[in-house]
Amino acid sequence: MRRNLIAWAVFIAAVAVLPWLGVSNDRYLMLLANVMLMFMTLALSWDVVARTGQLSLAHGAFFGLGAYGVAIAHRTWALHPLVGIVIAACAVATVALALGVVTLRLRGIYFAIATLAFAEVLRTVALQFPDFTGGTVGIAMPPLFDGDRVLSYYLIGAIFVLALATSLAVRWTRLHYAVTAIRANETVAQVMGIDVVRVKVVLFVASATLAGLAGAFYMPFITHTDPNDAFDIGRSVASLVFPIFGGLYTTAGPVIGTILMRSLEEYLRVTPPWKEGYQVVYGLVIVVAVLFMPRGLLGLVQDLRLKRPDRRWAWRFSR
Amino acid sequence: MALLEVSGLVRRFRGLAAVDRLSFRVAEGQTVAIIGPNGAGKSTTFNLVSGLLGVDGGTIRFRGADVTRSPAHSRTRAGIGRTFQVVQPFVDLNVMDNVIVGALFGASASLGAARADANRLIELVGLGDKRFSGVSALTLADRKRLELARALATKPVLLMLDEVMEGLTPTEERDAVRLLSDVRAEGVTLLLIEHVMSTVRDLSDHVLVMDYGKKLAEGSYEEVAHDPKVIEAYLGTDTET
Amino acid sequence: MEALPQTLLFGILRSGLYALTALGLAISLGVIGVVNFAHGEFVMLGAFIGFWLYLTLSGVSGLGPAVSPLVIVIGLPLSAIVLYAIAAGVYRFTLRPVLRQPELNQMLLTFGLSILAVNATSIVLSPQAKDANLAWRFDLLELDFVNVTFARIAAFVVSAVLVGATYLLLARTKLGKQMRAVAQNRLGAQIVGIPIDRVYEFAFGLSAALAAAAGVMLIFQTQVSPFLGLGTLLKSFSIVVLAGLGNLAGVIWASLLLGLAEQLVSQYVPGGAALRDGLFFVIIFLVLIVKPSGLRR
Repeated sequence: MRRNLIAWAVFIAAVAVLPWLGVSNDRYLMLLANVMLMFMTLALSWDVVARTGQLSLAHGAFFGLGAYGVAIAHRTWALHPLVGIVIAACAVATVALALGVVTLRLRGIYFAIATLAFAEVLRTVALQFPDFTGGTVGIAMPPLFDGDRVLSYYLIGAIFVLALATSLAVRWTRLHYAVTAIRANETVAQVMGIDVVRVKVVLFVASATLAGLAGAFYMPFITHTDPNDAFDIGRSVASLVFPIFGGLYTTAGPVIGTILMRSLEEYLRVTPPWKEGYQVVYGLVIVVAVLFMPRGLLGLVQDLRLKRPDRRWAWRFSR
Repeated sequence: MALLEVSGLVRRFRGLAAVDRLSFRVAEGQTVAIIGPNGAGKSTTFNLVSGLLGVDGGTIRFRGADVTRSPAHSRTRAGIGRTFQVVQPFVDLNVMDNVIVGALFGASASLGAARADANRLIELVGLGDKRFSGVSALTLADRKRLELARALATKPVLLMLDEVMEGLTPTEERDAVRLLSDVRAEGVTLLLIEHVMSTVRDLSDHVLVMDYGKKLAEGSYEEVAHDPKVIEAYLGTDTET
Repeated sequence: MEALPQTLLFGILRSGLYALTALGLAISLGVIGVVNFAHGEFVMLGAFIGFWLYLTLSGVSGLGPAVSPLVIVIGLPLSAIVLYAIAAGVYRFTLRPVLRQPELNQMLLTFGLSILAVNATSIVLSPQAKDANLAWRFDLLELDFVNVTFARIAAFVVSAVLVGATYLLLARTKLGKQMRAVAQNRLGAQIVGIPIDRVYEFAFGLSAALAAAAGVMLIFQTQVSPFLGLGTLLKSFSIVVLAGLGNLAGVIWASLLLGLAEQLVSQYVPGGAALRDGLFFVIIFLVLIVKPSGLRR
């Protein structure tokens, strides 16, 4: 475990140092760096709830709720964005709690369906109440830190570290055993003394809050959003494709998956014939991953390195 | 006060009573066997007592407390442990970690204590050299050992074993009986569902016979084995009487 | 209260297509046991086939008002066959290998297929929404207290016929009985020798064919775009959840409920038009709180 944590400490240090390697002057690169950290947070958050075996299709919606939360808090009470971010995160946590308590005591399919329905209903309803949400025109607020992308980089960096810490905590505390048991067999997990519903709800709320924090950062960073942007299903898709591609149930997987796929996305978005249809690649990645590469890129690398199947067990769980 | 007291237990599935006003008691330190033809409601009873199924009527009292509406995980922490007829190890975890799960959450141990307990129990059941093995590499007998170790890790006061002997060779059966005697010697009360009569005869001090969700007979193995109602339930009536 | 008959009629008529779409979903969920997140895309592709047919037929001179009925008469079997074939292929190459994996993987797969289908269509055809300028879309049948377009009547009639035919198939034919057997008891069905793989394939293909038929009728009511699948899917989910998983008969009642509720809310609840679009979520959420097994006993 210690080696693992040291490696992450080094990674965080590298991330912190990045702007000082000459990048800070390039506004475009700083934009990319900010957004990359944001998506890594989103990917890590999705992976956390996936570890309990649940499929959340609402992470993009929590992101959007966070964004709208900050904007509305600012417009209503003229709060400083940092305060607004905290309030928005609390709002997201509350909504996730309500959703989770109702759906997580049932079969996983109900949870998945409910999250998809939730995501879509937020978008359509947000469009219908222009007085509140600005309708299709959307809502705006002043730029974060007056547009200083280095300062905002450190803010999203802090949020990212929080996501990283959550993911690592689920792996290196007794939660690891709980979630793995739940994922393997919920019924038996209960009989082993695990309060399955509580674990699922707690992790779902934590996960949704992280996604909400990412969205809450996004709003003042980008200064303007509308329901179709904030609640774009594409972000829910991205939040699951990145960890699946990189390697589910790991901390490195979502991070690596985000870096690789997001970079690809930047290229595809401006290249015909993909353009707005670039998500077709995401669909393809999901299908291929489920069929052939269920443990993602990291799993593939592991399999290549440890050729004998039985050794996998010792590796995976020795501490 | 009995350790486990089941009164008027009822469970229906779409109108059919799988368990029909069942009442029985298990005293501390006893070994009770539940036998009966297939479909008698034995496994359903286990599911009701362990909390995996809700009751439609009746009560369940454990150590004097009413646990009828208690969730499964609370009952385990209170001291009711069980194994499953079709063994269900956690396939994503190795042997060691499977048992640790039981110790961590069923017995609320710290990680260090859980690991120590797991090591001890793995030795006890005879899986010592397969500690880090994946589940898929285990034989059926080994998986049953794992199932037992994991259930024991939850520090049960009452251990419910669902057809542990099924699928075992005679040698494995003897080992299992010996193992269960050791477990009993540590003070665990056993409640078994069994079809293998030699095991029932060797281990139990009290036998409960179920049929059609009801209690058909109760008593020592000898009494029950000679009860005509029981014989009829298993073998049917002689048409030429 | 003059609007009441119109509102009720619209609710009933709309429920037709809802039932048709939801029935397909209920079949794939009940028989195969898989949540098909791509079901909406079956509808969407059916709609595109219908739209293509409309364009082709409109180009033929001399057809005039016959285009509307022709699109239906040719489009229904055409889209059903094409989507059946696509679904059978999808089943064989992607779904079948995944049936042994945990539910999460199956859901991910169909969700991935959905994203793939939507975006591929968007790239290959066009992301823009298009309108089919069909006569029946606008021509009204004017009765005493209601006005209703031919399109809505046709949609209801087609739905009723297809749903009825499907129920007959399930009740009377060998394949139908096999499907019901599998839905009730997978293991038991295999033990008595029912060829489960073929039943699964047929069920999946049938669900797609029904969805495609609904898609063709949709071009008479709404814009055609690659993105029309999601809304349809969610309404179908709310119907299936309300009826209860595996309850195929309940689909009709649940569809009526959704159809009527939508119209009543939109007409009589202040701000209702906005709420109508969120009704599917309200239904799902309420059912999950109160009685997760749905209308089923």
